[in-house]
Amino acid sequence: MKFKNAAVVGAVALTAALALAGCSATSTPSASTTPTADAGVTYKVDPTLTGTLTAGGSSAQANAQTAWTAAFKAQATGVTINYDKSQGSGGGVTNWLAGSYDFAGTDSSLNPTQVTSAQTTCGAGGGLDIPAYLSGVAIIYNLAGVSNLKLSSATIASIFELKITTWNDPAIAADNAGVTLPATPITVVTRSDGSGTTANFTKYLKDTQPSIFTQANGTAWPVPGTSGQQGGAGVVNTVTAGAGTIGYADNSSIGSVTAAQVQVGTSKKFVAYSQTGATNAFEAAATAAPTGTGDLSETLDYSKITNTDSYPIPLLSYVVACTTFKDAAQAKLTKAYLSFILSDVGQKVASVNAGSAPLPTSILKEAVKSLALIK
Amino acid sequence: MKARPADRIFFGFSFGSAALIMVILAAVALFLIIRAMPAIVANWQTNSLLTTGPTAGFSSFWAYVGPLLFGTLWVSLIALIIGAPIAIGIALFISHYAPRRLAGILGYLVDLLAAVPSIVFGLWGIIVIRPLLLPLTQWLNDHLGFIPLFAGQASNTGSTILAGSVVLAVMILPIISSISREIFLQTPRLHEEAALALGATRWEMIRMAVLPYARSGVVSATLLGLGRALGETMAIALIISPSIGVSFKILTDGSNAQTIAANLALNFPESNDLQRSALIGSGLMLFVVSLAVNFIARWIVSRSTPGRPKRQRKDGRSAVPSNATSRVDAVALGGASVSGALEGEYE
Repeated sequence: MKFKNAAVVGAVALTAALALAGCSATSTPSASTTPTADAGVTYKVDPTLTGTLTAGGSSAQANAQTAWTAAFKAQATGVTINYDKSQGSGGGVTNWLAGSYDFAGTDSSLNPTQVTSAQTTCGAGGGLDIPAYLSGVAIIYNLAGVSNLKLSSATIASIFELKITTWNDPAIAADNAGVTLPATPITVVTRSDGSGTTANFTKYLKDTQPSIFTQANGTAWPVPGTSGQQGGAGVVNTVTAGAGTIGYADNSSIGSVTAAQVQVGTSKKFVAYSQTGATNAFEAAATAAPTGTGDLSETLDYSKITNTDSYPIPLLSYVVACTTFKDAAQAKLTKAYLSFILSDVGQKVASVNAGSAPLPTSILKEAVKSLALIK
Repeated sequence: MKARPADRIFFGFSFGSAALIMVILAAVALFLIIRAMPAIVANWQTNSLLTTGPTAGFSSFWAYVGPLLFGTLWVSLIALIIGAPIAIGIALFISHYAPRRLAGILGYLVDLLAAVPSIVFGLWGIIVIRPLLLPLTQWLNDHLGFIPLFAGQASNTGSTILAGSVVLAVMILPIISSISREIFLQTPRLHEEAALALGATRWEMIRMAVLPYARSGVVSATLLGLGRALGETMAIALIISPSIGVSFKILTDGSNAQTIAANLALNFPESNDLQRSALIGSGLMLFVVSLAVNFIARWIVSRSTPGRPKRQRKDGRSAVPSNATSRVDAVALGGASVSGALEGEYE
């Protein structure tokens, strides 16, 4: 692990990040994607901060939250941050709307009902959705003798819709010219619990192949007849242990399982996941869909991901916080923590320790403006 | 006689504890009903909060809970079929066959099984039992696939009802076997000796003296095991690949019935308010079923001991209340007089 712009990191953060990397179990992190220091967003943590932040929600960003919390506390030793991932996105937002959380982590931005009730919780300014965690949905598989699988979006949709049932199906063969595919039946492994990974993946399938993937997209896996497993780890374990299995998981948690290369747009090009790829995909596909002043909700337009430097299935998770806090001290603390998350250093800490992709500098700069609204 | 302060205080404490259990039960029931109501009365076909996520595709609350209720009973039943005979076998071995020292160790080990957290059983199920059962799954599917139970596309991953039930069976072993053991041990020595004196072999003695005596106790032990199985959550959630529907197949990945508790644990975090209320509603149904199982257990016990509702004295060995009574099947022992004499001895 090496930092290219160690100057802005500061000795304490560097130590913290290094210490974290030592005990992290994530897949080969790479710091090569860091934006250059002069164009980026820097944030200096105030070491005199004290207090306790209570938060929770999305388990997708839980590893990143752990990394952020440790790095933040290494600099502001008087601060305690509790992020409860057992709540999930739904529980996180519910608790935040009830006023028991300073901020929540959620895989989908607030829906219209929640936007309205946020105005009750936070005053007229309402809540702010800010993208915080970026990764990619990896298509992982275990097929003896095949290590370099390529899949078009149509083939992926057909497999996960259970329309293709054997590995030597002509559609898979067409994507993989020259590869001998066995006649093994395909076992599709999905999430049995509600999940933001499922929400991001089904959204991708629905948007790119609406005629093949006819089920509703959402946090619950919609196609009956698959092998449902609890948690990303459950999917990864089952794909690893099985024969002829294929599944999807947040790339940061797939370990050493093989992931397929995915077709870019409608081209004949296939790309493997990379952190840069996810960042570029977000930059290309994200379209602002604000629900209020300063809100940074994004809709991902998958048809805009056409360049081979992008990975076609990005995974996005937000933090939400009030514009107006009841307690000025909590506002200051939340603002400091979120500013740290949404700085170059924060994004790098997560990318090194939790395997996430850094958010593009452009969105981080937007986030600085939005965070300035918090009071 | 005037009650002394100590008596009054102790009575108050004891009465308070008894009343508290009623209050807690009522509070839980009330909580379930109040929180479940919005989902029970909601229109499941048009309400946008219910037409997405885990509750999508169900026409009403009952259409959602029905298959879950079936799945809960189905998985528990299979676990009981696998687990109860083994548990009773263990109990009989410990109480009547094993040398004293071995019996002590075995009994201790079985009780130890009850102390293993269910998440550990779940992980054990995923890592060990799933692959272990794959060849059996394939064999049953190939050769006995014409039976609906073993039909369907055999699982390739092992996340089957069979695997879940085997783990669940292991989890209910301790409760059934330790209660049964205590009851078997309470069989009056004279009954056993009378049977042996009449020329019975050891198995015949067990059949004639021990099993009839312990029958109602074993039934309630089994039903307590069923209660344990009905509410089991983590192990099932980890092992079984769920799809909500009525299916008798136990060897598939894609058409397994799902249990209420596992469904609750899997879907609660990401659900919206109304979906949560639907899930709590399914919890209410589980609560009702568990109560019903308890009532049935008591009804069976009271029916099998006619005219003897009185309490059994405990001899200090038993940690659980025994419902067995000292009734011996007179015919089995070859004469009413023998039975009468034995009963007289022990009343």
